[in-house]
Amino acid sequence: MSLITLIPLFPLIGFLINGIGFNIVPKNLAGIISTAAALASFCCAVVLFMNFSGEVQIAKVFDWITVGKLNISMSFQIDQLSLLMLLIITGVGSLIHIYSMGYMSHDAGYGKFFSFLNLFLFFMLLLVMGSNYVVMFIGWEGVGLCSYLLIGFWNKNTNYGTAARKAFIMNRIGDLGFLLGIFMIISHFGSVEYLDVFEDLGHGTVAGDKTIMWITLLLFIGAMGKSAQIPLYTWLPDAMAGPTPVSALIHAATMVTAGIYMVIRSNALYSLAPETLHIVGWVGLATALLAASIGIFQNDIKKVLAYSTVSQLGYMFMGLGVMAYSSSFFHVMTHAFFKALLFLGAGSVIHAMSDEQDIRKMGGLRKALPITFWTFLIATIAISGIPPFAGFFSKDEILAHVYEHSPLMWGLALAGSVMTSFYMFRLLFLTFFGEFRGTKEQEHHLHESPLSMTLPLMILAVLSAVGGFFNVPHLLGGDSKLANFMAPLFAHSHAVAHAADESLEKTLMIISVIAAILSAGIAYYLFIGKKSVPVADSKVAGLQKVIYNKYYIDELYDTIFVKPISALSKFFYSVIDFLVIDLAIEGIGKLVKGLSSEARLMQDGRTGVYLFVMVLSIAVIIVWTLKDFILVGFK
Amino acid sequence: MNSIIALSLFGIANLFLGFLNNRKILMPATLAFILFALGLNLADWNTEVLWFNNMLRTNNLSVNFTTVILVATLLVVAISRGFGDDEEHSHPAEYYAIMLFSVVGAIMMVTFENLLMLFIGLEILSVSMYVLTGSDKRNLRSNEAALKYFLMGAFATGILLFGVALVYGATGSFSIYGIGNFVTENRMGQSEITPMLYVGILLIIIGLLFKVSAAPFHFWTPDVYEGAPTIFTAFMSTVVKTAGFAALYRLLSVSFVGEYGKWVYLLYFLCAATLIIANITAVYQQSFKRMMAFSSISHAGYLLMTVTSNQATTQSSILFYSLAYSIATVTAFAVMILVSENKTSNGKPDESFDAFKGLAKNNPLLAFALAVSMLSLAGIPLTAGFWGKFFIFSDAFKRGLILDLIVAVLMSAVGVYYYFKPIIASYMKEGNIQEITIKPIYKLTLIITTILTILLGLMPDLVKSIF
Repeated sequence: MSLITLIPLFPLIGFLINGIGFNIVPKNLAGIISTAAALASFCCAVVLFMNFSGEVQIAKVFDWITVGKLNISMSFQIDQLSLLMLLIITGVGSLIHIYSMGYMSHDAGYGKFFSFLNLFLFFMLLLVMGSNYVVMFIGWEGVGLCSYLLIGFWNKNTNYGTAARKAFIMNRIGDLGFLLGIFMIISHFGSVEYLDVFEDLGHGTVAGDKTIMWITLLLFIGAMGKSAQIPLYTWLPDAMAGPTPVSALIHAATMVTAGIYMVIRSNALYSLAPETLHIVGWVGLATALLAASIGIFQNDIKKVLAYSTVSQLGYMFMGLGVMAYSSSFFHVMTHAFFKALLFLGAGSVIHAMSDEQDIRKMGGLRKALPITFWTFLIATIAISGIPPFAGFFSKDEILAHVYEHSPLMWGLALAGSVMTSFYMFRLLFLTFFGEFRGTKEQEHHLHESPLSMTLPLMILAVLSAVGGFFNVPHLLGGDSKLANFMAPLFAHSHAVAHAADESLEKTLMIISVIAAILSAGIAYYLFIGKKSVPVADSKVAGLQKVIYNKYYIDELYDTIFVKPISALSKFFYSVIDFLVIDLAIEGIGKLVKGLSSEARLMQDGRTGVYLFVMVLSIAVIIVWTLKDFILVGFK
Repeated sequence: MNSIIALSLFGIANLFLGFLNNRKILMPATLAFILFALGLNLADWNTEVLWFNNMLRTNNLSVNFTTVILVATLLVVAISRGFGDDEEHSHPAEYYAIMLFSVVGAIMMVTFENLLMLFIGLEILSVSMYVLTGSDKRNLRSNEAALKYFLMGAFATGILLFGVALVYGATGSFSIYGIGNFVTENRMGQSEITPMLYVGILLIIIGLLFKVSAAPFHFWTPDVYEGAPTIFTAFMSTVVKTAGFAALYRLLSVSFVGEYGKWVYLLYFLCAATLIIANITAVYQQSFKRMMAFSSISHAGYLLMTVTSNQATTQSSILFYSLAYSIATVTAFAVMILVSENKTSNGKPDESFDAFKGLAKNNPLLAFALAVSMLSLAGIPLTAGFWGKFFIFSDAFKRGLILDLIVAVLMSAVGVYYYFKPIIASYMKEGNIQEITIKPIYKLTLIITTILTILLGLMPDLVKSIF
């Protein structure tokens, strides 16, 4: 068995052991098994990466379905893209497994949690390793399932269950688009293998082909659901109901970037569909702005981070929209580091605060939680795009390419990045500076988290700090390592955005850094200088109230979609179902039963009758077959 | 081919083993014999040999069919439990020997090159079956079933033999390729084909249709299946059906393919009739065994569909379907044997659906195995039966057998009704079945068949690519 197959196999085994033996495996062992599985996969991924020759490798496990000329096999593709995704998923995944051993230690569903986490890893690995769209779809659905299971992990709370269902349903809407896209690929190309499809594209498909446009658009609908873009983004903030490590792993670092992975994987298709790219770019931008503006007024530590995730995903799609594929991927990578770190830091805070998530009740935590504070600070600087931390490099690359495409888009994106910096520093200041605003009991209980939780924080902090150096642009004396490494992936794309003019790039860079620092300064002035604290929910008014309530988008969806559909459903239930379907079905049932009670009488047990019927039938058959000869005889 | 010789010898050996007053070694010995024969059979893979002056032909097709037959036999023997503890009235050595002999007949039916061999194989198989059906000597129903089976079977044999004679008269050949060449050349030469050949072809087809219990030649099936001891019902419904279809397919695709237009309508309508009669009648049955009899008729209908379509993929469809069907049927009967013995009504085993009530509570394995086998027979996805049906439907679609397809789809829906009855009884009804003790080999067989059904449902290509 090759190394490639082993990678998804480890988490699957981990899931089977913990899942089937959940009441046999001792509690301590469950965490160790799962973490070991994740680490083993990580090691395999590293070895693969070290030995990677630049050639695409396909590892076929078995032929899955053969229908007509279509052959769908369970096979894995190892190339630059899947290798990088593998490293991120297994690497960050392992850290979060370690973290969870500390974070979930008091939870009754410890074993269940780890088995779900392993199952998630397995599906996520299938998603990025599959060599065709169907395997990707299996992973795609699988991670959706795991996300559902983990959001509703504390299923005794009805709200959490509702949040899980919301996530699942919204994802299913996207999945329908994705599935239709796959069907179109099958009917148009006759294969679902990436290599075949992209090879086929080389044979004279021109940009603007309508079929390609529809395929890419449908696939993008899938990405909207999974990667939380307008209009299917509202599930992600609610998904914070799950345990915090889950938010970090699934709803920030890995699963939600599946949409971006898919677009990069299909870059050959997308590059031939300028209309779709246009839509992708603007949807991304709109999402980035909308989510960032909501983030400014949120008071739940995880909600702020959730909107920030939606907003950052918007940036990535914006990058894809201008064909800056490697830049977007770079951002996926750095984002995985600093957003996982932010969530885990938030988890550490919540753990210390005895499950309090409202930042209005925190403050001054930097003394009690030094490691959490310093790592959180690094992540905040990184996400705000202030050099030299990771976010600066990746975000500026995207912004530079966006400027090339359209200065207007760049201006709006810059506004978004100003907001990002503001709400992140607001969060930092309110949580870690000033006076403690919680109860005495909480204050007494404050403690730094155990090593199993702080160790991942520190590792991720280092990565967030230096992650940007993987792809230092020429302008700053680097050699764009990552972009060069990924270049072969875009061989099939006819036009990929090229690096921007250097002097222009420099100007843009300086502007965005100044803007980010300024907005951090405003946050400092407001929340440390003036020591203001967001007001209680009831006192929020005006425009702020609209934004605080997320522009009432949930309510809007409820009115436009949910209520009419449930009304329609009630109508069908009480009228159509009862009068039409029930009657028809029961009618058919009665008819069949009636016929049956007659037919069984033919079988009366008398051999003579049986033989008579047989002989009669034989006679009829022979006469009927020979009717030509017989008629000739009469003539 | 070597498996025929080996099995004949093993049958005789089994009779001698009967002299050792030790019943316990019979079943393991038989299992070993069958496994050995299976090995011999697989050794013929990728060789094409004619045996005994062009009487039998072994090739990959025959190896595949033989494998399916031997696997089904293996499973049936594995659940036979040495034929009970009735020292005085049961004769396990003879039963096993007859089973082995009948398998010899079945293998001849899939390897025949000469119509005489088909006839001999068919007779070996049928006569063995008459005996096995009546093996429960003190049971009136068993006797009645055997007599009925014999009377009607003899009648069908006569028809088949008459057909063989007529075909010989018209073509001057017993060899299936000889007949095939004659039929095709006549077609090419536009020369007059005599009614004698047509009648001969029709009578041979009808004779075989009787054996695979297609309507309107199916009347014996419910009575015989119900009367025969359950273990032999399982044997009959798997081995006989597979061998019958193998023979029918070889004849139609090799000998009579030149006159496709003449027999296709016959099969086209009989297929629809079989499906309708079997499924509709099955709905009203209260006895599980009788329901399985109608189910077996309906599966003959599905298999007829792919034979009628006469596509290149037909042989692999028949093989896959037969395998899926045999595995599921053996499982279902295996569960039924245990449950009905456990619950008697009026001193006899209770074979109605009611016997399964509440099975899942104390016997989860039995209930699960039963459910999987029923789902497979109904053709629900993720089971082998689904792909079996799928392949058959796609063959029929390629040939454009629209009427059959519509009927088959509708009747599959009807099938769900009666296949779900035992599942509902075992999972949703209240009942008082205590935990049934199962012997290890029996349990193992159930587990293997259940896993196989699901595995083939997940990865049909695992086997389909071989066929």
